[in-house]
Amino acid sequence: MVFPAVAMRGVDLSLGRGAARVHILRDVALTIGKGEAVGIIGASGSGKSTLLMIMAGLERPDTGEVEIDGVKLGALNEDALARFRGQRIGIVFQSFHLIPTMTALENVAAPLELAGASDARERARAELKQVGLGDRLNHYPAQLSGGEQQRVALARALCPRPSLLIADEPTGNLDETTGRAIIDMMFDLPTRRGATLALVTHDSALASRCDRVIRMRSGRVEETPPVAVSV
Amino acid sequence: MNAPAALTRDRGRAPTMRFALRDLRGGLAGLRIFLLCIALGVAAIVGVESLARALNDGLGREGRVVLGGDASFSLIHRRLSADEQRFLEAHGSLSTIATVRGMARVASGDAALIEIKAVEPSWPLLGAAVFAPSMSLDDALGERDGVFGAAVEEALLARLNLKLGDVIRIGEASFALRTVLVSEPDRLATGVGLGPRALISQAALDATQLVQPGSLVRWTTRVVMGGPNGAPDNSAVQALMGQAKRTFPEAGWDARSRLNVSPDFSRDLDRFAEFLTLAGLLSLVVGGVGVANAAQGFVDRKRATLAILKAIGATGSGVVALALLEFAIVALIGALAGAALGSAIPFAVDWLFGSLLPIPLAPSIAPSLIGLGLAYGLLTALAFSIAPLGRAHDVPVTTLIRDLVEERRGWPRKRYLAGAALAGAALIALAVLTSPQRSIAAMVAGATVGAFLALRLVAFGLAYLARRTPQSRFVEWRMALAAIHKPGALTPSVVLSLGLGLTALVALTLIDANMRAELHDSEPGVTPSFFFLDVRGADAGAFVDFLKRETPGVKISETPMMRGRFVQLGGRPVEKVKPSDKVAWALEGDRGVTFAEKPPEGSEIVAGEWWPSDYSGPPLVSMEEEVAEGLGLHVGDTVVVNVLGRDISAKLANLRKVNWRSFAINFVLVYSPNALQGAPYTELVSAALPSAAPDAELTLMRAVARQFPAVASVRVREAMDNIETLVAKLALAIRAATGVALTTSVLVLAGALAANRRARLADATILKILGATRGRLTMMFLIEYALLGAATAAFGVAAGTLAAYWVVERSMQFDFVFDWRAALAAAGGGLAITVGLGMIGAWRTLSQKPAAYLREL
Repeated sequence: MVFPAVAMRGVDLSLGRGAARVHILRDVALTIGKGEAVGIIGASGSGKSTLLMIMAGLERPDTGEVEIDGVKLGALNEDALARFRGQRIGIVFQSFHLIPTMTALENVAAPLELAGASDARERARAELKQVGLGDRLNHYPAQLSGGEQQRVALARALCPRPSLLIADEPTGNLDETTGRAIIDMMFDLPTRRGATLALVTHDSALASRCDRVIRMRSGRVEETPPVAVSV
Repeated sequence: MNAPAALTRDRGRAPTMRFALRDLRGGLAGLRIFLLCIALGVAAIVGVESLARALNDGLGREGRVVLGGDASFSLIHRRLSADEQRFLEAHGSLSTIATVRGMARVASGDAALIEIKAVEPSWPLLGAAVFAPSMSLDDALGERDGVFGAAVEEALLARLNLKLGDVIRIGEASFALRTVLVSEPDRLATGVGLGPRALISQAALDATQLVQPGSLVRWTTRVVMGGPNGAPDNSAVQALMGQAKRTFPEAGWDARSRLNVSPDFSRDLDRFAEFLTLAGLLSLVVGGVGVANAAQGFVDRKRATLAILKAIGATGSGVVALALLEFAIVALIGALAGAALGSAIPFAVDWLFGSLLPIPLAPSIAPSLIGLGLAYGLLTALAFSIAPLGRAHDVPVTTLIRDLVEERRGWPRKRYLAGAALAGAALIALAVLTSPQRSIAAMVAGATVGAFLALRLVAFGLAYLARRTPQSRFVEWRMALAAIHKPGALTPSVVLSLGLGLTALVALTLIDANMRAELHDSEPGVTPSFFFLDVRGADAGAFVDFLKRETPGVKISETPMMRGRFVQLGGRPVEKVKPSDKVAWALEGDRGVTFAEKPPEGSEIVAGEWWPSDYSGPPLVSMEEEVAEGLGLHVGDTVVVNVLGRDISAKLANLRKVNWRSFAINFVLVYSPNALQGAPYTELVSAALPSAAPDAELTLMRAVARQFPAVASVRVREAMDNIETLVAKLALAIRAATGVALTTSVLVLAGALAANRRARLADATILKILGATRGRLTMMFLIEYALLGAATAAFGVAAGTLAAYWVVERSMQFDFVFDWRAALAAAGGGLAITVGLGMIGAWRTLSQKPAAYLREL
């Protein structure tokens, strides 16, 4: 049986307590096919980042079901979820979030090491070469430019060969030229490896490069426009 | 579908060490105080233990010299019998010394108590005595023109205003002071006395006529045995000891070998070291607060890193393991540094003061002590860090993408609380199980845990009160109160770290003050000013008349006195009796024994019955209740004591509760008069003078020395001064150990203030922007620190007083006196430290320009 890469049904989530409680996601249903690139757009606070977090198993919904590659995330305990994430899901953040005390090579090798891979460093080295940082292996994040840091973050996300790559505003902290180069890589590498891409962005031009774009409004998936609609 | 099996297997542990080391490469920011706290505590513990071991080892290595032979047989009242002498001679060369208390008198009439040591010409068989000026023993002590020579300690020259060449009288003989006795190789074995040492020859001792039947002369014969390298091996020494015991079971001697030179000294040393170790442990526990602060700060600072690791596949317990490993590594570095420093202390003491110590030091690196120090350091680090680091488990990854994050609050997960409790229990178990006095160690551990919990309550109560105090219209007061109860306030850090240190300081200061007060507590006419030793039975009447004549109104008490050693208790040989810790002293060396028709003054019969005054049946004995209990004896048991070389078997007729503070002369053992019939004895006489004037005492002492040269006058005032000097020295060591705990307190406090500085800067900047002047901000900080310091000091004084009261009333059994000055000084110190350190931080905060801070945001 072939499972979709992502399947979400009836997902609801509220955060905060009492008067401060905010309803963030409302009855979200979403299916993403294997190898598909999906752009998620919407205004600030519309729930798009939260949708990604739920997809990555970093947040549990109040109600509803989430399946990644046919694995029900709700059935996994916290530790199993962490290991599942380490092997199947790559995440790229807007603020890169590299570990400052580790070199570029060590940052990229970290998820592989956590998964117990014996060839972590070799694979990390190869991945960094792929993103054009073969000569910056032993630099610490503070010694790298913003674009370089985001390339390291991308290499880290891709290194374990995840089946799902999640990116939250990956170019939000970069200038236009650098951002474009990162995006090229982000579309190129996973596609070649058959991975699925879920990308949150404010940039409609970037969203238009996806196979499909969904729009979030007030915690709901409002529409799923066809591919070429948004430009 | 469930997760594939491979994913549920924990494969994330292997890289933990690599990750920890990588993270530590970034430096020890935020962990330095933690490292220092562990290092200081471990250094104190390893230092004390190493020093005690160096002393014990030195004693062991130099045991032969310190003892003056391979074996030593000490007798009171009598010399070796011919058989005993022959037996020992067959095993090696013999040398005998005699020690006795006496009075040194000068022509002016002045007199001083001295500890006489009479030696043979061959003395010392081992080691060397140092004289200044240097001369042979014969030149120092020999008879020249009818006058014997003496080598005396410098202290005697000072006491009697003498110089070398002057002549003194001891008993019936005259002595020329030929040289100063700087050191004796066998000083420790002969013990430290109440007066300065005077070394004379045994021929001279005979001439003094101080040696009479029943007088308190101790004869100690040392045996120097031969062997393959000039000395016998241990088994030969042990064989001699065994043989001596079997051959002369009733000798009643105090037999020691070079393998066990001074068991009481070694035991006292171990106990004292134990006390100091507990003080070191206290500093580790105080440092634990710093460890907990560091762990809290670590999780806050590393939030992003921990979240990233979780985002890329680390489990919650995995990131906690990583954090714990980093802490364990830092703790290990701190503990190793502390152990190195502690191990160096005996070497440093030997190098700096080796020549001044009466005991040879044998410093060495002791792996077992280093291991103990490391274990203490690591367990402390774990006990205090597991719970705060456990919070890393629930650091949400979503913190990486948005601020609105629901976080688990309150206590860390149960497994981490259990882990912390387990490490704490292991720490207590280690302290108790490695202690020579487990009950005391357990008590101190219990008190520390109690104080710790109480301090947490104080911190909580303080925050609660600050929250509940009605709103004041003074902004500074309001802001200061808010700073005390807001989340992340300094309150728990200040109260816990300083509170424990202050409690210990107040307790020790008050115990010290009470001991000193007790030593000087005297009531003219009731408290004895003198004890006169060696008053011959025949002279007793004349002596008492003389005292009454010289000092009208004097209160006199006289008791016959002999010395005896326990041989059998309730049918068991004394070696097989396991006394309780409290009364172990009763079986060491000899005890004073007496006989009486009526119960001694100041004692009360609590079991059995006193004998009739004309009792003539089998020997009976009365024993002090606590000692009997500690030795497991009951009324009706048989007690065998060797007196004057004769085993006296007596039935335990009754037990007495003695009020030792009644100042009446009381002995542990009191026999029915018929039990010791015919035995030569001397009287112990005490005299309570109607006036406390020192001049009256000196006049009486001179008169006694003139009229009764064989009587040794022990001035209570002087003896107490000597004891006080000793107490002061011990108190100094205790204060040094407590000082480490206080230093740690200050470190922890400084660390907490530094960690809090950034939050303070934010508050201060906003307040400045809103128009607060530096004066108002200063006042706000001042009120906050003063309140925290005052509350902590109040707790420290209260808890310290309670602890001191308990020790003084229960353990030392005298009335507790509250010393306001000591308590106020400690409280003032605590307040000053809090306000001082706080205001240093505040000054740095206030001097920063708001714009500079805002640019960094």
